[in-house]
Amino acid sequence: MPQILINGRPIEARAGQTVLEAAQENGVFVPTFCWHPQLSIAGNCRMCLVEVEGRGLDIACNMPVSAGMHVLTDSPDVRAHRKAMLQFITLNHPVDCGICDKAGECRLQDYHYAYNGEASLSADPKVHSTKYYNLSSRILLDNERCILCLRCTRFTHEISKSMALGVERRGDTSNIRPVADRPLGDDPYSDNIIDLCPVGALQSRQFLHRTRVWYLRATPSVCPGCERGCTVQVWHRKPEWHVKALDPAQNRSIARVTPLENPAVNGPWICNKGRDLARIFERQRALEPMLKGRPVPLAEAVETARELIGRARRPAALLSNWGSNEELAAFRQHLGTLFSAHLKRDREAEPGERSEDDLLIRSDKNPNSAGVRAITGAAASVPDAGTDLVLVWGEGCDFAMLPRGAQVIFLNAYLQPENGHADVFIPISVQTERHGHYTNFQGHISEFQPCFPRPEGVSDAESLFKSLAQPARVHA
Amino acid sequence: MAGRQLLMTFPVTATSHLLTEYRARGGYGALEKALRQMKPQDVTQEVITAGLQGRGGASFPTGRKWQVVIPGDGQPHYLIANADEGEPGTFKDRWILENAPHLLIEGMLLTAYALEARHCFIYIRGEFDLPYRRVAAAVEEAYAAGWLGERIGGAPFDCDLIVYRGAGAYVAGEASGLIASLEGKKGYPRNRPPRLTVRGLYQRPTVVNNVESLANVTGIIAHGAAAFRAVGTAKSPGTRLFSVSGHINRPGVYEVELGYPWQRFIDEDCGGVLNGRALKAVVPGGISSKILTAAEIAPLPLSHEALWDVNSTLGSGGMIVVADGTCMVRLLQIMLRFYHHESCGQCTPCRHGTGWMHRIVDRIVAGEGRPEDIERLYYIAKYNDGTTICGLGDAAGYAASGMLDKFRDEFEYYIANKRSRYEGRLECLRS
Amino acid sequence: MKSLIPEFEALRSRFPAGFESSLVLPCLRRIQEQRGYVAEEDIEELAEFLDVPRIQIEEVLSFYTQFRRQPIGRWHLQVCRNVSCSMRGAETVLAHLERTLGIRPGETTADGRYTLSTVECLGSCGTAPALMVNDRYVENLTPDRIQALIRELA
Repeated sequence: MPQILINGRPIEARAGQTVLEAAQENGVFVPTFCWHPQLSIAGNCRMCLVEVEGRGLDIACNMPVSAGMHVLTDSPDVRAHRKAMLQFITLNHPVDCGICDKAGECRLQDYHYAYNGEASLSADPKVHSTKYYNLSSRILLDNERCILCLRCTRFTHEISKSMALGVERRGDTSNIRPVADRPLGDDPYSDNIIDLCPVGALQSRQFLHRTRVWYLRATPSVCPGCERGCTVQVWHRKPEWHVKALDPAQNRSIARVTPLENPAVNGPWICNKGRDLARIFERQRALEPMLKGRPVPLAEAVETARELIGRARRPAALLSNWGSNEELAAFRQHLGTLFSAHLKRDREAEPGERSEDDLLIRSDKNPNSAGVRAITGAAASVPDAGTDLVLVWGEGCDFAMLPRGAQVIFLNAYLQPENGHADVFIPISVQTERHGHYTNFQGHISEFQPCFPRPEGVSDAESLFKSLAQPARVHA
Repeated sequence: MAGRQLLMTFPVTATSHLLTEYRARGGYGALEKALRQMKPQDVTQEVITAGLQGRGGASFPTGRKWQVVIPGDGQPHYLIANADEGEPGTFKDRWILENAPHLLIEGMLLTAYALEARHCFIYIRGEFDLPYRRVAAAVEEAYAAGWLGERIGGAPFDCDLIVYRGAGAYVAGEASGLIASLEGKKGYPRNRPPRLTVRGLYQRPTVVNNVESLANVTGIIAHGAAAFRAVGTAKSPGTRLFSVSGHINRPGVYEVELGYPWQRFIDEDCGGVLNGRALKAVVPGGISSKILTAAEIAPLPLSHEALWDVNSTLGSGGMIVVADGTCMVRLLQIMLRFYHHESCGQCTPCRHGTGWMHRIVDRIVAGEGRPEDIERLYYIAKYNDGTTICGLGDAAGYAASGMLDKFRDEFEYYIANKRSRYEGRLECLRS
Repeated sequence: MKSLIPEFEALRSRFPAGFESSLVLPCLRRIQEQRGYVAEEDIEELAEFLDVPRIQIEEVLSFYTQFRRQPIGRWHLQVCRNVSCSMRGAETVLAHLERTLGIRPGETTADGRYTLSTVECLGSCGTAPALMVNDRYVENLTPDRIQALIRELA
């Protein structure tokens, strides 16, 4: 265990570590652009220059610790060099902050104020380059803002392995470019480069100019796109920044989804499907309980359901693998002895969607099959022919395949034609309106928090199961 | 002759580069001797004792570089001859490639033997035409005669040599950029650690040596380290090839015994300054070495230590002679344009700094210089010194700061008067 | 590229095992020698033949000055204008060529015969000023020698 000094403080480093790692593990901050714990060392930004007594300055990210070294991360020489590196980086960098989505979460902005704070020393016009380059249908590239840290190209070479990005030309006219046959559009992990980019060079086209990041709150959640259950951050407007004069739908919409770092499950990445959760959660919602398509008050729908349950001789439940562990526990507790339980796959892969790979994507495109199995014991099976009542919870049920003559109680969040065919239909809430947990295919349990209030008239499945388990009122 | 000669020891004719004539001069005798009487580590030790310094630019002790490679470590080792010769003002490796290719090949074989390198490469810049054809032909001759391939000289020593052509990039002459290029990629230099002698070509221990360094290995093994040390100075043993160009009567490649007086070399061996003009300045070793004034070079011998003492270097041996009446601002403009064009673009200070410096001097030359430009150039040079992935950034800075240190008044004049003091002249005045 | 495959196979066998990636530069050089430039389909075929990522070939093509993805004139005149050549009259050489051919650096004559470029140091400083015409060095240039060269190439 090499002993080193950082800013005069003795540090117990680990053999084989770099000075940057030793500093970070001991609470000493060294600024970096190109370094990333999951990517190879590029050592090109030169922002992490530190001083080693007797040896001068060198980058910390590639510097092995050696016993007895005295490292200075904040000496006058280091400060002067950091300032100079920022002068170089901002030499041709456009002052786009006023129109750049990265503002407020931009590392270059932060470092400029922390370490430079001066105007440019250059009297010459900036070198210009492409500003609106369509890297793919999802990502816009601004080469002027790019600081060529090469995090994005390294990601496509080392992590997603799409080999989609590279550098054309050399010197200060170098540009990040996609390979000509454009597999970045085919790379289901492409949007991670937007998070990786330390400046506003890579922008999400779906988020472009939608809102300023400081109006948003990031709520921890779990991506329901597959049984990996990557933890994510769902960004939505903070209550104090709710719009009053504009479309109120903005107050309950998902502005964007980004990864929530999780060493056990997904590391710092998610796939693009997780970015598109609004496509799933913001479909048109079912808001009215119905009896065979006729809107009724909730109490009447619940009472009718209780009657059906009371009369049924062989009730079966098709469980939602989008149900949370809490909802599943409530089902088991209140209805588990009444119903035979069957695991249903709410959603399948869409045409063209990658089935499975050895990075994150799993072929079961639902978040909680493991939870269903563990909590209710249900397996993937179909109700047998004698079933006379089916409780369908969630999407993915082919109503034509249900046992003939069986009555149907249908619990669903979204407006779908099948809602009107069920004997009893009750609208339920979605993940972003509740707190809960999912269990992923490896047994990891991850938590999600609510982002929005439930719409008026919509029930939580958890309390609904308890309510349905009550006996029907005896009719006179 | 500028002192004793070790390399240019035969008259160059239309056929003197051929194997038959090389052999007749005693060629491949050193290799035979080494294979019969020396162990690999003996060869390394001889080169260390000789004190051979790299002839590519850095002047690093050659034997010390080889020592990092661990014999018998179970990994392939590679030897690469750096024949990229892109440093402006330098064309002396070209002389070896065209006229003494077998001297290089034999030196490479001796080195490969010392390093346990089964495969060698000559990385030759893509533009070189005749040098490439001569070297490629020499390699074929060597294979045919059994000096390359398996069981060389009847000994249990196998070695294959591939001649690999570059495609136009000065930065691919930097050892790690060269390796990246030889791996079939863009010539991006690499951070150290690890040193290339630990992880180089395809992450294997690799030694990259300059052509002239390897050519010298042959003589050192043939005649012994002591004979090499007897030539030159204590701190700069042996000779160096200098490529002399610019405002000089007899440009060309000269072999100079280290320690030889500089002024005499210019006036007598090279025929003196063109058109009888006065000497103004000399770029000693390629434009990446700091320029020296006529007054500075006058008392100096041509040796490593003498130049290190005046904060310059023999570098690549590319000596450019500058006569009076030359506009040093325009000269710097060409140099900075070069670095700007050749910067690979990987690291922040060089990528932006080379362009910035070039634009500043362009502006000065166009009559739009500003008073702060000189300090700006020094600033950019300072923060490219020791901060970059490879030496290109530093070199660009040295060209600028070196020129400003010696000829600041010309820049101040140009900025103040919006024109050159010397009519922007680059060619030599008539007498 | 197909006609070059036997040659590329022979070249591959000269390199140590695992060095396929190294073949990118020599193969591109041969492709360009044959076609005059490197075409889209060459990139595709070479990437497949060597099993290297296509992006690597695209980067190489744009990084090195000697590779081109568009055809140029029959005779490529590449004039050095670095330090020593400039000190021995490169600017005069360039001006002379511009006048004679009626084009500027980066341009090709209308009849497709000559393309003019400026290049950095060719390592011919002792015989400055110098230029390359296609693969050949032409050194110790004077206006007369340039005229003779143009006549020879015509």
